[in-house]
Amino acid sequence: MFELKTIDKHFPGVHALQDVDFHIHRGEIVGLVGENGAGKSTLMKIIYGAYQPDGGTIEIDGKSVRFQNPRQAMDNGIGMVFQEQSLIPNLTVMENIFLGYENQFVKFGVINWQAMSTAAKEQLAKVKLDIDPNTITMELSFGQRQLVELAKVLTLEERIQGHLVILLDEPTSVLAEEEVNLLFQIVRDLTKRASFIFISHRIDEVLELSDRIYVIKDGKIVDVVQHDEAEVTAIQQKMVGRDIDKEYYREQKQKPYNSSEVLVTFDNVSLDGIYRNISFDLHAGEVLTLVGTEGSGREGILRTLYGMEQCTSGSVKIKGEKVTHFSATAGVSRSIGYIPRERKIEGIVNGMNVYENMTLSQLKNFRYLGVMNVPKEKSLATAWIERLGIKTPSVYKDCGDLSGGNQQKIVLAKWRSGGSEIILLDHPTRGLDIGAKEDVYEMIREMSDNGIGILLVADTLEEAIGLSHTIMVLKDGEFQKGFDCKPGSKPSLYDLVHHMI
Amino acid sequence: MSFKFLKPYFPWITLVMLTIIVGIANPGFFSPAGMIILIADIVPLLIMALGMTFAIYIGGIDLSVQQIANMITVITTVYLAQFGIWVVFIVIGVGALFGTLSGYVTTRFYVPSFVSTLAIGFVALSVAKWLSGQRALYMDATFRDNSFGWVFGKTWGIPHELIIAVVLVLLVWFLQTRMSFGRALKAVGSGELAAVASGLNVNRVKILAFCVSGIFAAIAGLMFSVKLSGGDAQLANGFLLPAIVAVLVGGTPLTGGVGGVINTVCGTLIVMVIRAAMVYLEVDATQQQMVFGIILIIAITLTIDRSKLRGIVK
Repeated sequence: MFELKTIDKHFPGVHALQDVDFHIHRGEIVGLVGENGAGKSTLMKIIYGAYQPDGGTIEIDGKSVRFQNPRQAMDNGIGMVFQEQSLIPNLTVMENIFLGYENQFVKFGVINWQAMSTAAKEQLAKVKLDIDPNTITMELSFGQRQLVELAKVLTLEERIQGHLVILLDEPTSVLAEEEVNLLFQIVRDLTKRASFIFISHRIDEVLELSDRIYVIKDGKIVDVVQHDEAEVTAIQQKMVGRDIDKEYYREQKQKPYNSSEVLVTFDNVSLDGIYRNISFDLHAGEVLTLVGTEGSGREGILRTLYGMEQCTSGSVKIKGEKVTHFSATAGVSRSIGYIPRERKIEGIVNGMNVYENMTLSQLKNFRYLGVMNVPKEKSLATAWIERLGIKTPSVYKDCGDLSGGNQQKIVLAKWRSGGSEIILLDHPTRGLDIGAKEDVYEMIREMSDNGIGILLVADTLEEAIGLSHTIMVLKDGEFQKGFDCKPGSKPSLYDLVHHMI
Repeated sequence: MSFKFLKPYFPWITLVMLTIIVGIANPGFFSPAGMIILIADIVPLLIMALGMTFAIYIGGIDLSVQQIANMITVITTVYLAQFGIWVVFIVIGVGALFGTLSGYVTTRFYVPSFVSTLAIGFVALSVAKWLSGQRALYMDATFRDNSFGWVFGKTWGIPHELIIAVVLVLLVWFLQTRMSFGRALKAVGSGELAAVASGLNVNRVKILAFCVSGIFAAIAGLMFSVKLSGGDAQLANGFLLPAIVAVLVGGTPLTGGVGGVINTVCGTLIVMVIRAAMVYLEVDATQQQMVFGIILIIAITLTIDRSKLRGIVK
């Protein structure tokens, strides 16, 4: 019914999609999995009209179509539910649902809000969301917003005669488990009217929901698997193109930490509205992981320690010294390194080259009377490129042009080379492909072996369990429970989730 | 790909093409003597634009430069008799003070630099009017020649003004490319959040950038003042627009992070050629700002980094 034939797409220096054939039947749910950079999002963007292919055709019911922009794709019944939420936070739910299509409610140039509200209620009912359409979107939970997003796309049902194709881009990443189940239920119910393309990095979820699964790697479809034949490990191998190391999180390499050397002490520390009465010790060589849902206060603790937020009460000691003044500059001088979640914005400076990025946190070690010692910088960069296996043509390469994994290594090298003894990792593997993730895990182990204290907010619970010596579970800004995570006696997922929610 | 590769060279290509066009229309343009006069004439503007580059490079702007220069012409004229050549230190000190003030207001009170520098500019203008009693002041010719006469001399046919300009260009070029302050500027201009997260004292870097801008505006005012042998609260009017045009046409976009002082040298030369062309085409002086206004918009449109704006313009 909807078909892509031999789609080709080039970007400068990259062959993003190569000869991609993709089709979807009426009422079918098709999964699309692949590593980061495999071409998933490029393919999505071609389907909903944000990009135009360089070669190949798109057909709907056998007729060739071309989309110049997303609006044209929508007029042909193709809707996109965005991963990064496309709702405007300070508009009401109904304003968001009908954004750009208010005309149907306009009489004599005035919007009939009553009619819009009624219509919005109908849309919300489709996604089983019982909220007032006049609610300001900001006040909804992430899960509810995701459903509103779907409701917004479902307005296509009224506007378009034919069958719909709806793209779901990582819709579950912000949802709790029951919300995921609800979403899946809704999607299944809607297959009478629409086909779905479901993209997620959680392969098990894709398996559960999809009738067929496309596996994409390096811009090519490498396999199409039927629901009944699908297996998580087989698909993973196809995505990566090799076996995943059984020792994924390097658990066997975990060594006990030195409990006699305390690097950081939090004593009853609070930051109003973010977290309350948090106490812990971070030891040399320890990987301490803060676990909790979004909004549990885990990132706030990292940011306090680094100096980007001031705590409002309690006492913080770093290497035995009580901290009175918090700032990022002071954090660096206390030999704390911070690896932020927003790698491309806070991690590397896009537009500066490899050595400039690596020495940015330690300019004073590379200057004499204010003049930079560039040869010294370059030799440091060369050494760390070798040590961490950073793939870059030279030290002069703009970091913005490197892959995510290499960027992350450069951020790590920035702190390691500066001699940081405490490293704060905020989602260090976010958006990295499996190979690059393994590299990061390896580096975490290596840092821990070298006596660096690591405070981690992990991307997944599995990661947290695999990497940690100690886990602290937080909920709504309060400490819930601590877990010892020695190899062989690690807590289960259930143990953690139980205390998180 | 080729567009991206060529983009850094656009200002130079533009300069060469404009020069050729003007030269063909008016062969006299190429005479070395005439050229040197033209270049020497543009020196105060170049100095002002060099300072402004720092403000724009970090993604801000400094609208106070013209008023600082106005104020400095008055200060120079008033204090020349008393301090002689040492008035230079007063000039630099006052420029640094006003620039720092702009930077301080911008960073501590979260006032966008286009507003803070506009306000500080009016303070400077007011000082100029108050100090001059709103009259045009003139320097004593002997004092001027004793202290600053050498500025307008020549060595081997090269005007000293030009030598001063070259020295200042080399100085800021060194500051920008070789010193840690320049590195910090680049980090703030290209990725401010990453600079913060790397522990850089971003506010101090920004304040220093405005300080440099203030100092160079003051030096420009000094040059202009001794050149015209007087001071007046309106003497440097008409400098602001060409200075901004010089920076942007040179290839330092309003979004900051790329370009730099050498680009501004190129931009200033482009402004010079355009001015020469306008003189040749007999464009009235009153209409010149009109031309520069249009060029400014074109330059911004061509250079601005839209990915940094994220589609939001207010």
